[in-house]
Amino acid sequence: MSSEESKTKPVTQTQTAPAKKEPELPKFEKDLSDKIVTKFGADTEISFVKPNRVRINVKKEKIKDVATFIRDELNFDHAESVTGVDFPKEKEIEVVYHLGSYTDPKLNKQILSLATRVPREDTPNPGKDSTKLQSLREIFYSVEFHERECFEMLGVYFDGHPDNRRLLLPEDWADIPPMRKDFATKGR
Amino acid sequence: MSVIAPKFRLAYLLKGVLNDVFWIIVLVTLIGFPVIMIVLFYIELPVLEGELLTPFLAFTMIAHPELSMPLIDSFMNTDFFRIAVFPGFGFAALIAAGTIFAERKLLAKLQLRVGPFYCGKVEGILQLMGDGLKLISKEIIIPAKADKPIFWAAPVLFIGAAAAFVALIPVAPGWVVADVDVGLLAVFAVIGFFPIITILSAWSANSKFPFIGGIRALYQMVSFEIPLILSLLGVVILTGTLNLSEIVESQASFPWIIFLPVGAIVFFICMLAELERIPFDLPEAESEIVAGWLTEFSGMMYGLVQLGSYLKLYAFAGLFVVLFLGGWTGPLLIPSTPPEILSGIEVGPIAVDLPGSERFVDRTLNAELINGVIWFVLKTVGVIFFILMPRGVFPRIRIDLLLQIGWYKLIGLAFVNIFIALGLLYSGILEPGVIF
Amino acid sequence: MSVKIPPGLQLEKVDERIMTLNVGPQHPGSGHMRLIVQVDGDYIVACDPDPGYVHRGEEKMAEYRNYITNIPHLERPVIHDSCNILYPYVLGVEELLGIEVPERAKYVRAIASELNRFSYTLYWLAIYGIFLGHSTMFMWPAGDRELAIDLLDKMTGARVTHAYFVPGGVRNDLPANFEDVCIRQVNYLEKRLKAYADIFYDNPILISRTKDTGVLSREDAIRLGTTGSVLRASGVDFDVRTKEPYDAYEELDVHTNVLKNGDSYDRSKIPWLDMLESCNIIKQALEKMPKSGSVRVKLKPNPKGGDDEVYKRVESGRGSLGVYIVSRSKPEPYRLKLSVGSFRNLICLPYLLKGEKLGNMPAVYWSLNYWPVEADR
Repeated sequence: MSSEESKTKPVTQTQTAPAKKEPELPKFEKDLSDKIVTKFGADTEISFVKPNRVRINVKKEKIKDVATFIRDELNFDHAESVTGVDFPKEKEIEVVYHLGSYTDPKLNKQILSLATRVPREDTPNPGKDSTKLQSLREIFYSVEFHERECFEMLGVYFDGHPDNRRLLLPEDWADIPPMRKDFATKGR
Repeated sequence: MSVIAPKFRLAYLLKGVLNDVFWIIVLVTLIGFPVIMIVLFYIELPVLEGELLTPFLAFTMIAHPELSMPLIDSFMNTDFFRIAVFPGFGFAALIAAGTIFAERKLLAKLQLRVGPFYCGKVEGILQLMGDGLKLISKEIIIPAKADKPIFWAAPVLFIGAAAAFVALIPVAPGWVVADVDVGLLAVFAVIGFFPIITILSAWSANSKFPFIGGIRALYQMVSFEIPLILSLLGVVILTGTLNLSEIVESQASFPWIIFLPVGAIVFFICMLAELERIPFDLPEAESEIVAGWLTEFSGMMYGLVQLGSYLKLYAFAGLFVVLFLGGWTGPLLIPSTPPEILSGIEVGPIAVDLPGSERFVDRTLNAELINGVIWFVLKTVGVIFFILMPRGVFPRIRIDLLLQIGWYKLIGLAFVNIFIALGLLYSGILEPGVIF
Repeated sequence: MSVKIPPGLQLEKVDERIMTLNVGPQHPGSGHMRLIVQVDGDYIVACDPDPGYVHRGEEKMAEYRNYITNIPHLERPVIHDSCNILYPYVLGVEELLGIEVPERAKYVRAIASELNRFSYTLYWLAIYGIFLGHSTMFMWPAGDRELAIDLLDKMTGARVTHAYFVPGGVRNDLPANFEDVCIRQVNYLEKRLKAYADIFYDNPILISRTKDTGVLSREDAIRLGTTGSVLRASGVDFDVRTKEPYDAYEELDVHTNVLKNGDSYDRSKIPWLDMLESCNIIKQALEKMPKSGSVRVKLKPNPKGGDDEVYKRVESGRGSLGVYIVSRSKPEPYRLKLSVGSFRNLICLPYLLKGEKLGNMPAVYWSLNYWPVEADR
């Protein structure tokens, strides 16, 4: 199981079981994920380990510590994007941070997905209900506008973000956050 | 879009021609004949040298040179001719129109496109006429809160000042509209009017973008007037006179640009800034302040302002030619007609005789005039070409760089130029006021 | 106050000395985006970008379309560079569905991607000329762009918004004598691009307007998460085509251009250098391409992905463009996110414009290689 062989695997790997039971995991990525899990234990969980892509699920209280650890020890220095995914059946909204690295040449290909879940309310009141998350802006400056977009599109309030305001939506938007699944576009 | 170059159909051409013929016949019948009848039968016609001046006689008189030449001669020596036709408004407007067309074509070729192409059979020659007709036909919109008397007066003042400037430029020996002894000082005075007119028109429009454009124009024109005037001091020192015609005559052997190249360059750059040409077209910067101080002008007011701008361009180029390039001096291209031809030639069976032309060709339309005009026009066209070129080459300059250039670098260079002139004078290479 | 305020409207207090300018959406100096700029005299005190003028909800609409009908939908954010926006999407869908693309298709994709880079960058350069007031800098790239668009027209059938990439390859093969025409036009484009150096990049007025304005240091560029030409102008050597090669770029030889100063001049020069590099890539790809073979793998109707997610990125004209697809065993994607280079570079704008002169604003703003439509999606 050398790292060169695993890195050039064709991209037709399918994951049917949790990643830990799969025998041929790429070594470098497994290394990264193991470091995080050993430090934070029960609060984190490895979702999958694929060539160049690792995903860690974190509980929402610990997201700031995990992010600080990733920035300082693992040398990831910027966020490629921040995505919010709405799961109405599980009553949760998942926020995924994709982190990349420019400075460390071994990490140039890697993208680490850091995911948390926040509770979702049926009648959203953005900023004043329980859909709150700690902002990662002091750790990764580059998430500033992405988090604003997540706020306006899904209603996830980021504590500690200097400017939780609308970005793309018009000034007089008075409807529910549009990326939620119960917001239907016209004609559908 | 309509068809751009419609195919030729004989039927349409014949239809057009017949239409024109029909209307000509109608107009001549309904209007022309009655007028002729009235003139022939009801107006007292004068008696010239024993003959009644009928329209027939008038036509033959026009064709007879001995009678018409003195008329033309005396007409050309009147003030009206100088103001309206040459070297005044008609000449300047013709050069201005040619400049506009040449600018569009030159810019187009520089940018790998064609320019005006469809209006007029040969490469879009009639484009300007089309633009002029379009501007006349457009509605003049005045903003509601504008200061109406000043707003209406501003383009007229602009043209007036530009025309005053044109009036001071000598084109040929003896041919200048206003022959003042302090010609150069008068030029400075007229140039000083332009910022005032610009700020008046910008202020009276009472809108944000003209305001910004007017302030920028004020900054620009005022800061470049000082190096403009200073750079000409060198020429004044060396010639000892302010009269523009005398300055030209003093360059009979050498144009001043050989001795004062720095002054010429400073004057050229200041000229570009006063004319608001690229790279100094901040007052009309399109990408920042829609059209600057011209924003609220529409229709013929805009046409007048454009005409004024191009008259100013011709006048400045003419001034550059007069001061630095030698005006109308130059080797003789067209020799004067020898007197034997003037009094009639007989070569075998052919006899040519233009009685009356002797005095005309001697006094007014002499070789000096024709040569002077040709050289002046050639030099002016050359200078205009160099003024038009930067439009395709440079982007627009920023305002603080503009002010740095105007107040620091150009004034410094102008003083260098004055020192060169004084050096030439006091070292004895040139003597003041010598006409070679 | 007796004025009825619409619900959700945000109000702010007005200051006496500082003037708030709306370099608004309808302005010849701003593209279609609003910049709320607070000015103290001639110096910008703060800048608040307000994108969203052309926000259509691309990501929301993508959840209603299946993987194939999403293709003409997703290329609309950047119509000139449409192949590069679709590229990560089709790579992601192929990974989800487990499809292997034929060799020839990979090289055709590389050629289309580079031609799109020409089309976009020349248009961007032309608009940069308008912002600076340089009409020749508008006319020359706009004219030369016709050559690249003509090649794309022969290849795909459309001048912009090609809808050429499909999961499984490309829609159709190259026409018969494409190679000769392409090499001839690319050689001419290369000659023309080299002529740009004299009139644009060595032009003293352009240099004085863009040098040392909007300087972004190397650490800041990394920390702000910028991408594309902004990153490479600040000294960071990162190009997705070399660092995480995809498709044919694993065999092609790409040279990354890096400049050190990080000011507007360098940021305006890097796309031009990249275009010169694209000429080489196209010629290499035409040489190395397998001369025959299919360019498309047939798909079953209504393909479904499993319970999976994928994140793919590609180097587009503006930087690394990432697509994140979450699928839940349906023909439509459950969530599709476009992480576009313009949106990531937007954060530089309030950071760089603080303390700049107002006259420098167009030069700095457009040099960030910002395409308003793409940032708004």
